Amino acid sequence: MKLFILIISLFCIIQGALCATSELDKFERYQSLSPFAPIDLNDASYEDLTTKPRDYHVAILLTAVEARYGCILCREFQSEWDLIARSWNKASKPDELRMLFTTLDFGNGKTTFQKLMLQTAPVLLVFPPTIGPFAKVDDAPSRFDFSGPISAEQLYTWINRHLPEGPKPPLVRPINYMRLVSAVTILMGAVTLFTVLSPYVLPVIQNRNLWAAFSLISILLFTSGHMFNHIRKVPYVVGDGKGGISYFAGGFSNQFGMETQIVAAIYAILSFATIALAIKVPRIADNKSQQIAVLIWGTVLFGMYSFLLSVFRAKNGGYPFFLPPF
Amino acid sequence: MADTPVDALLKGNTGRNTRGLLRIIILTTIAAAAVSSRLFSVIRFESIIHEFDPWFNFRATKYLVQNGFESFWDWFDDRTWHPLGRVTGGTLYPGLMVTSGVIYHILRFLTIPVDIRNICVLLAPACSGLTAFAMYLLTCEMSFSPSAGLLAAAFMGITPGYISRSVAGSYDNEAIAIFLLVFTFFLWIKAVKNGSIMWGALTALFYGYMVSAWGGYVFITNLIPLHVFVLLCMGRYSTRLYISYTTWYALGTLASMQIPFVGFLPIRNSDHMAALGVFGLIQLVAFAEFVRSFIPGKQFQRLLTAMVIVVFGIAFVGLVVLTVSGVIAPWSGRFYSLWDTGYAKIHIPIIASVSEHQPTAWPAFFFDLNLLIWLFPAGVYMCFRDLKDEHVFVIIYAVLASYFAGVMVRLMLTLTPIVCVAAALALSSILDTYVFASRGPNPKIKASEDASTEALRSTRNPDVGISSYISKAVVTSSVVIYLLMFVAHCTWVTSNAYSSPSVVLASRMPDGSQFIIDDYREAYYWLRQNTPDNAKIMSWWDYGYQIGGMADRPTLVDNNTWNNTHIATVGKAMSSREEVSYPILRQHDVDYVLVVFGGLLGYSGDDINKFLWMVRIAEGIWPDEVKERDYFTARGEYRVDDEATPAMRNSLMYKMSYHNFNSLFQMGQAVDRVRGSRLPAEGPQLSTLEEAFTSENWIIRIYKVKDLDNLGRDHSNAAAFERGHKRKRATKRRGPRVLRTE
Repeated sequence: MKLFILIISLFCIIQGALCATSELDKFERYQSLSPFAPIDLNDASYEDLTTKPRDYHVAILLTAVEARYGCILCREFQSEWDLIARSWNKASKPDELRMLFTTLDFGNGKTTFQKLMLQTAPVLLVFPPTIGPFAKVDDAPSRFDFSGPISAEQLYTWINRHLPEGPKPPLVRPINYMRLVSAVTILMGAVTLFTVLSPYVLPVIQNRNLWAAFSLISILLFTSGHMFNHIRKVPYVVGDGKGGISYFAGGFSNQFGMETQIVAAIYAILSFATIALAIKVPRIADNKSQQIAVLIWGTVLFGMYSFLLSVFRAKNGGYPFFLPPF
Repeated sequence: MADTPVDALLKGNTGRNTRGLLRIIILTTIAAAAVSSRLFSVIRFESIIHEFDPWFNFRATKYLVQNGFESFWDWFDDRTWHPLGRVTGGTLYPGLMVTSGVIYHILRFLTIPVDIRNICVLLAPACSGLTAFAMYLLTCEMSFSPSAGLLAAAFMGITPGYISRSVAGSYDNEAIAIFLLVFTFFLWIKAVKNGSIMWGALTALFYGYMVSAWGGYVFITNLIPLHVFVLLCMGRYSTRLYISYTTWYALGTLASMQIPFVGFLPIRNSDHMAALGVFGLIQLVAFAEFVRSFIPGKQFQRLLTAMVIVVFGIAFVGLVVLTVSGVIAPWSGRFYSLWDTGYAKIHIPIIASVSEHQPTAWPAFFFDLNLLIWLFPAGVYMCFRDLKDEHVFVIIYAVLASYFAGVMVRLMLTLTPIVCVAAALALSSILDTYVFASRGPNPKIKASEDASTEALRSTRNPDVGISSYISKAVVTSSVVIYLLMFVAHCTWVTSNAYSSPSVVLASRMPDGSQFIIDDYREAYYWLRQNTPDNAKIMSWWDYGYQIGGMADRPTLVDNNTWNNTHIATVGKAMSSREEVSYPILRQHDVDYVLVVFGGLLGYSGDDINKFLWMVRIAEGIWPDEVKERDYFTARGEYRVDDEATPAMRNSLMYKMSYHNFNSLFQMGQAVDRVRGSRLPAEGPQLSTLEEAFTSENWIIRIYKVKDLDNLGRDHSNAAAFERGHKRKRATKRRGPRVLRTE
């Protein structure tokens, strides 16, 4: 009886050792396919890589890069993924810490996507080794779901948490010399252009009306909540459910893109009417036309302000003040 | 023209005196209006400190008054951030507390016995009176029109954008900081106009005061150099500018370095590098001007200009290299997040979680500024009319501040002063044109205009004035209507939106009578009277200052969010299962846990609504143990009812909030009025905590952390035993018999 157990266990050990040697080949075989960039997989090689036993970590990015799948996130992330793989493979690291970075595109791996029941892409799976010094008892892969645009640094720290303790190669972003050179060239070009064209450009830059227009437009933009749109990424307009468009969002701290443009226009009209009344009208020499101008601008001011108040009342339920027409 | 007695008063020397007197009377009235419109909360509730941060300032002021300045400066507070403590003296802006302390001692010296609390409550309204006066001075520097200054003072006195931070009881740094901001800008404009060392030094002095009072001083530190830089670019270098800037920079930097919290930041932090860079630039420009005055010759001057630009460029590159290599600290997180608006959300969730750091929607602008918001661009346009040095300042300030106010709600406060200046300029020029009684242009504004050579397009024709009385009547009466509406709006907003202490809540009963909800103070006084003096209270950081101020008990975290990990620890304890939380509570010596629950009353600012931030902040430190996703249902909803996720239902926060809540209702009828959802029929079971206190309207619930079990059982077993469940023994389980083979 005991002898039997001994034989069996011996057999197991030998088999394990045999497996290990063949796996070693597998790791190096895949690694040699593409020494730096992530390895492209298909259904068969995915199966091959993830079958037990493994003596290496393998990170698989399941993605859909091709344009017809319309996955913007996948395409944006592809370069970052490349960066992670490259900086891992190029750096020096402990010998026993073996890791493969691979990519499985939906085009090559429909069966795998179906098997994993994936509805969205990209998804990252990290399979731990099942044998070797870093073997984990729980051999299920850890899964990272992308909830939005993410940088290589963020994902790399996540991957590092799932690797064993110890030193790991840092993430190195290559310096973009092309961009540096082009920036310097453009800068020098701009300086040259400016010096050459200065007789023509200077009057434009020193034009007071231009600067006035620039600062007024930016002030109107900011005070009508443009930054809110930019940060919260609000929709431009929203349907009202009856086939029409609702221009104004309900609630005090909500707004639509178009709504802010309407409000900016209202502010602009009100400001312009004020400027006209204060500066332009007193410079009209003819009495009659001056009188008419005053009445027109006064009415515009009154009507617009009344409209603005009515819009504000719609946004803010309990607001008690209003002006007649609206 | 008939010589009436009024004319005698308004002409000549007597006239000047009368007008001066009138001006003083008007300013005093404005100050009185500014103060009195901020007293709603004192009249409605009582003389009480509001909100959160003011409670810390109040506590610090009491410490200062009791222990003197020396020990306040070296104050180490071991009753917050247990067990770490906080070097409070070195990590606060002491200006506010020292101001109240000085006022307190002066009043005591005059034998007027005033409680320090009343000084603290009324400091903000008193300062708003001073702000109105500073606003008058600042606007008078911008315009020849005598009415502009008074209008600006009146606007500043009552505009809700400023009232929001300065009602009685809102004892916060901004209370005195806005006065200092406006006054520093006035002194700066004065210094630039006169080129005098005295005004420059005064600017530096008040700048130093501002640094000691509010972190927002960085705004001044960057705005003044920007003003100088733009003036240099416009070719407006003058010795006036040189004298005022160098005086301000040298003295102001020294003054700011006296504050322990600021220390060496002015020479080591990117926030302050603009000031240093412009200081260097102005030296170069001054040198070039000096040389130029001696050596004529076009070629040489061109060489000189090129040299100035090159040296400045090299210095700029040097600064960048120093920043990259880490000698100069990069932009501080809060300031940086103003430029890169996505930064805070990714890297500093604790900043992004605060509601006043959210971007501003347009109704908030209108709500806080009313008609000023559309007078504002008109006023800025009028600054382009004769674009002197001070008008450049207004324009830069206006553009920058409106950007900042758009990015962050709380920075509406820095926008408000310049809006008042610009709106007053616009409105006063309308009033000067239309109220002026006789025909023809108003001689006063006429004088200001002909100075400029290259004017705006709209001012090319000569000013002939308004001819018909109908026009004048129409415009004047409509302006009066707008102004009356502005006053009504400000009063309404102040009374409805900004006068709640948020410590005491008020609501209306169905019959219209007022119903005061005083749960916070009830609970804090319970803690003060029923717990030992050094019982440690754990709560979310929002309530740390209030517990420290009102209950006088040590807390784990508070609103001074200096240690993110410690806050994340509390977040983890709140969002984990009891088995995980209990060891954390024990390790931090927690005796009581306090949660805020609004489900019974429909109070939406409660902890369940803030819960996701606790989860997020905890996830930032322990991404493997706390995951935000686990608190959302499969369909991505945040639920507390039957469909709540297991992580949600087992979290300590959920259990503490809904513990025993079912017993208030009939079977299965329990409804959470904030989330508007029906709760599961069976309420959560707590085993490691026991309910100690629940306030009248259930807003505050306090739990005592149980000691270790006497018999060495774990708490869930002990609780199950108490409930009468017999412990099931695994050995006695009867299954189908199995044949044992050996």
